[in-house]
Amino acid sequence: MKNLRKTLAVAVALATVSGAASAAGLKFDKADNRFSWDSLAKFEAMDLSGKTIRFDGPWIDGDADNLLTVLAYFEEATGATVEYNGSNDFEQLVLVDMKAGNPPNLAAWPQPGTVAELASQGNLAPLPSSVEAAVKESYAAGQSWVDLGTYAGADGNEAMFGLPYNVNLKSIVWYVPENFEEAGYEIPQTMEELIALSDQIVADGGTPWCIGMESGGATGWVGTDWMEDLMLRTQTPETYDAWVSNEMPFNDPKVIEVMNTFGQFVLNDDYVDGSSSAVASIFFGDSPKGLFETPPKCYMHRQASFIPAFFPDEYKDTVGTDSDFFYFPSYASKDLGNPVLGAGTLVTMMKDSPEAQVLMDYLTTPVAHELWMAGQGFLTPHKGANLDAYSSEVLRKQGEIFLNATTFRFDASDLMPGAIGAGAFWTGMVDFTSGKSAEEVTADIQKAWDAIK
Amino acid sequence: MSVSKSKLPGFFNGTALIALVILWLIPTLGLFVSSIRDKDALAASGWWTAFNASTQVTFARTAAPSEQVQTDKGYVLAGQLTSNEGDTYTNIVAFGSTSNTPQEAEPGSQITLKNGDLLQVNADGSYEYLSDEPIKGSRGKRIFFAYAQPAEFTLENYDNVISNGGIGQAFLNTLAVTIPATVIPVLIAAFAAYAFSWMRFAGREWLFAAVIGLLVVPLQTSLVPLLRLYSDLGQMFGFESKGYVGVWMAHTGFGLPLAIYLMRNYMRSLPGDLIESARVDGASHFQVFVRIILPLSIPALASFTIFQFLWVWNDLLVAMVFLGQGEDQIVLTAQLRALLGTRGSNWEVLTSGAFISIILPLVVFFALQRFFVRGLVAGSVKG
Amino acid sequence: MTEQIYSALIAILVGVTAVVVYFWGSNWILDTLISRSSRDNKEVLREKIRPWLFAGPAIFFLTLYLVYPVFETLWLSFHNSDSSAFVGLANYEWLFADREFHQTLQNNLLWLIIVPTLSTVLGLAVAVLADRSKFGTVAKSIVFMPMAISFVGASVIWKFVYHYNGEGDIQIGILNAVIVAFGGEPQFWLSITTWNSVLLMLILVWIQTGFAMVILGAALRGVPEETLEAAIIDGASRRQLFFRITLPQIMPTVIVVWTTIAILVLKVFDIVLAMTNGQWETQVLANLMYDWMFRGAGDFGRGSAIAIIIMISVIPIMAWNIYRFRKDEAGR
Repeated sequence: MKNLRKTLAVAVALATVSGAASAAGLKFDKADNRFSWDSLAKFEAMDLSGKTIRFDGPWIDGDADNLLTVLAYFEEATGATVEYNGSNDFEQLVLVDMKAGNPPNLAAWPQPGTVAELASQGNLAPLPSSVEAAVKESYAAGQSWVDLGTYAGADGNEAMFGLPYNVNLKSIVWYVPENFEEAGYEIPQTMEELIALSDQIVADGGTPWCIGMESGGATGWVGTDWMEDLMLRTQTPETYDAWVSNEMPFNDPKVIEVMNTFGQFVLNDDYVDGSSSAVASIFFGDSPKGLFETPPKCYMHRQASFIPAFFPDEYKDTVGTDSDFFYFPSYASKDLGNPVLGAGTLVTMMKDSPEAQVLMDYLTTPVAHELWMAGQGFLTPHKGANLDAYSSEVLRKQGEIFLNATTFRFDASDLMPGAIGAGAFWTGMVDFTSGKSAEEVTADIQKAWDAIK
Repeated sequence: MSVSKSKLPGFFNGTALIALVILWLIPTLGLFVSSIRDKDALAASGWWTAFNASTQVTFARTAAPSEQVQTDKGYVLAGQLTSNEGDTYTNIVAFGSTSNTPQEAEPGSQITLKNGDLLQVNADGSYEYLSDEPIKGSRGKRIFFAYAQPAEFTLENYDNVISNGGIGQAFLNTLAVTIPATVIPVLIAAFAAYAFSWMRFAGREWLFAAVIGLLVVPLQTSLVPLLRLYSDLGQMFGFESKGYVGVWMAHTGFGLPLAIYLMRNYMRSLPGDLIESARVDGASHFQVFVRIILPLSIPALASFTIFQFLWVWNDLLVAMVFLGQGEDQIVLTAQLRALLGTRGSNWEVLTSGAFISIILPLVVFFALQRFFVRGLVAGSVKG
Repeated sequence: MTEQIYSALIAILVGVTAVVVYFWGSNWILDTLISRSSRDNKEVLREKIRPWLFAGPAIFFLTLYLVYPVFETLWLSFHNSDSSAFVGLANYEWLFADREFHQTLQNNLLWLIIVPTLSTVLGLAVAVLADRSKFGTVAKSIVFMPMAISFVGASVIWKFVYHYNGEGDIQIGILNAVIVAFGGEPQFWLSITTWNSVLLMLILVWIQTGFAMVILGAALRGVPEETLEAAIIDGASRRQLFFRITLPQIMPTVIVVWTTIAILVLKVFDIVLAMTNGQWETQVLANLMYDWMFRGAGDFGRGSAIAIIIMISVIPIMAWNIYRFRKDEAGR
């Protein structure tokens, strides 16, 4: 049956992705010296043939292809089989499996808040100490990354439950340089200039923004990203932190102000391709396509660094020429520096097994990072990963933004508890784009907070 | 009803009926026509124009400036408009100077670009880019244009959705769920229905009244307890709680009330003397059932089989809860729903995927319509 | 071809064999153990046990899959989200105070009123019209056809009909195309409250009208001709014929059709899930329940409470069905 699997179509089902990683094939030659192949040696010495490891995650489409490449080399070295299942509804599906007593071995959570909950419920196995040591040693500012994955278990003791793997940069805006050039637009350096540019585009008869929030069970997360970036640009980092922990109520006037600022962009039918109420029904991976149409459906798209994996095929690998990005600017009038929003996934062990632990170790090696860096949509703080592996100058540029921020904050909705960050906050953003007032939406979210306290 | 037929109201009723029928047919027709159209055409024009050519707007690059030729007119880049994949465009309908005005000029005319250079594009796709000074840059210039794409019908979308959209595998999964989940309840219900119709036992009326009651119990009340039960059993006996066996048994349980109800009603309508005389001759109920009743009940069995087949094939909730979403377990309805989310704007995938999911039930339905109707009627007409 | 087909075939084989072995085997054992003789009481004993052999498996499945879960769900609704602590009526209190729940109830009420009524009326209309027409059989088949289509498939079909492209773009969804042709503005219909629920309901009406048509068609044929003829002789107009004689005669069936569709409306989950996932105030009970079952870390307490609400709304119909059944049986 394994052979049968291999002969099945290599193209991956887009809605859910699964199958042995070997279906992705070994894309890179061992002679390619961008990669630290020697870190594979330890795994080649092991023999795990016949063992299967189940790995669930949120990555689909192009992202999933890249992960399968990373896993393919692990499989080749150890002989184990890794079954990856990816889906838009990942959070829901894994929880269903967990409740049914059948969780995957590894699960990659974009929400540290949910990881904290699961750890305290006893649904996660603590990571092997080798993993914690590897992160501390090889990640830049290693200790803070260890901290990001450390939570209290069911017994109250703190342990590392999540391995940060695959981080992404959020405070950037994508555009097509040739379209800007043709229209005579300049890259805005401040938020005031950005708004003026949007107005200019409208005056010229175009549409400035493409925004799409649909994402299956996760619909609405795009709106939360906008909120967080705008929060960092209009309020102090301390306010941001208080917002995350709910020390400041969600319907505080400051939050309402931020939401209305987002409304300036998304509720303005002239600003957004399609109508603003349609925003919640456009798949987030489809919305950037408007940048590349003739006539262009929009000129700018604010989205995290992983989005090129969703560009139309002919544009996936031409980031830097056909498409490019600029930093989502801050207000010149406020004095809040250059804040940067980022996020990432924590890989957790939901069902312990010796093979699962080996796979976790593999994910801390340089090559496991480089193999994805060579694709698209992957950034890492791993010091040992060869920067040349980044598939483009662009990614290196993104890495720089990461390292040069005056303030760095992790995605707020991912830090909040699951019922909020992966629930009420998401649906609240959908309600907001459908016309509900910021006061009502934030009050609803605060009610959800109160219900879980 | 010959009485009312003789008073032919004729025209008005005829048109009303035709209008209703067309209304009913249009949505499905739209689906089918769209599924065999070329995907660019699908996105560019309504399916009712499927037989007309559609206009596509795009851009292509001139040759790189390194290939410019100096003539007495100036510096020239000339050639044939080609796509990235190498296809030439030969049906230019209009072209323009900027991405926002791709259709401002007629083919064969010459326009002046913002930077003063001249551009001419002809209907056959040839172009000429003229500049007074050496043309700068490393990449070809973008030319924006619209071209006519003739109406094209293709089965490509089906191919695409089967191999890339997971529909092929989902189809097989659905078959694997539906066939057992149809066959097993029929057998179990037939025996029970006979017991309820022709065998005497304590509490028979009560039990059957309970079956009637269970006809309307919503699935929703069964989901959570069964999920927990399956997972507890799974942990105790070491098997996966989400699997085909669980789904088959669940569908059996959910389908039994209707099955028993339909078959019992049918069996009751069979002549009692047949059974009486057989019993008098010394046959046990078992022999009566197997030799006489079962063969006579084939219409009712057929009716229920179709109901159950359609119901299980089209089910979404039970499959989503009791079966996984992985490639080897996901059913057609769940896969289609997932596609609605991630490929929501790719109508070529959605229409062909939907059509594949409905074609088998439609065939079954039309072939055995009589039994289906009979079953419905047997269950519902009163008075 | 693949593992699934093999396992399905094996399952059918095993399942059918198991069922056959059970029925044939248990009856054979019964016959052998209580051996056939002319002794009356042994025969009586045997035939007393046999019904339970026949009905046994069915009773087992029904109890396990339909009866026990209702009580378990009730129990779960009195507990917290992961069923570890008893919370009494807390879930219900929360439910009745929740704004989303109120919205959902309102929607369900709307669905309950519009869908069965529209389906029944249209079904009756088609049944009557088709009876009088030459191509009535074909017409009925076409109207009936959507019954074979899954709710998700129907959702794809109708999402295409309702599709929205920005103003100024060419519309590929029929609804907006027609509106634009008449000079109107295209809308993203699925996001416009109340209109969107109605449009979703139309999908279910499209599917269920065939059901109503078939049942009512059969009932119409059951109206005795003599009564109608007598009325015509007495000078009744066609309208009077229909409303004073036909309709009352088929009323019991009309009620059956209406209630059957109503039950389905309460359980329908696929359409709302696939079209809008409850957004833009289209939420219905069945979808809300699924949502809560798996929202965040899953809340079985609240999900179960909603399931009980659905159950309760179905009880009147259940009681009426049982009452009708007993009456029919008594009349036999």
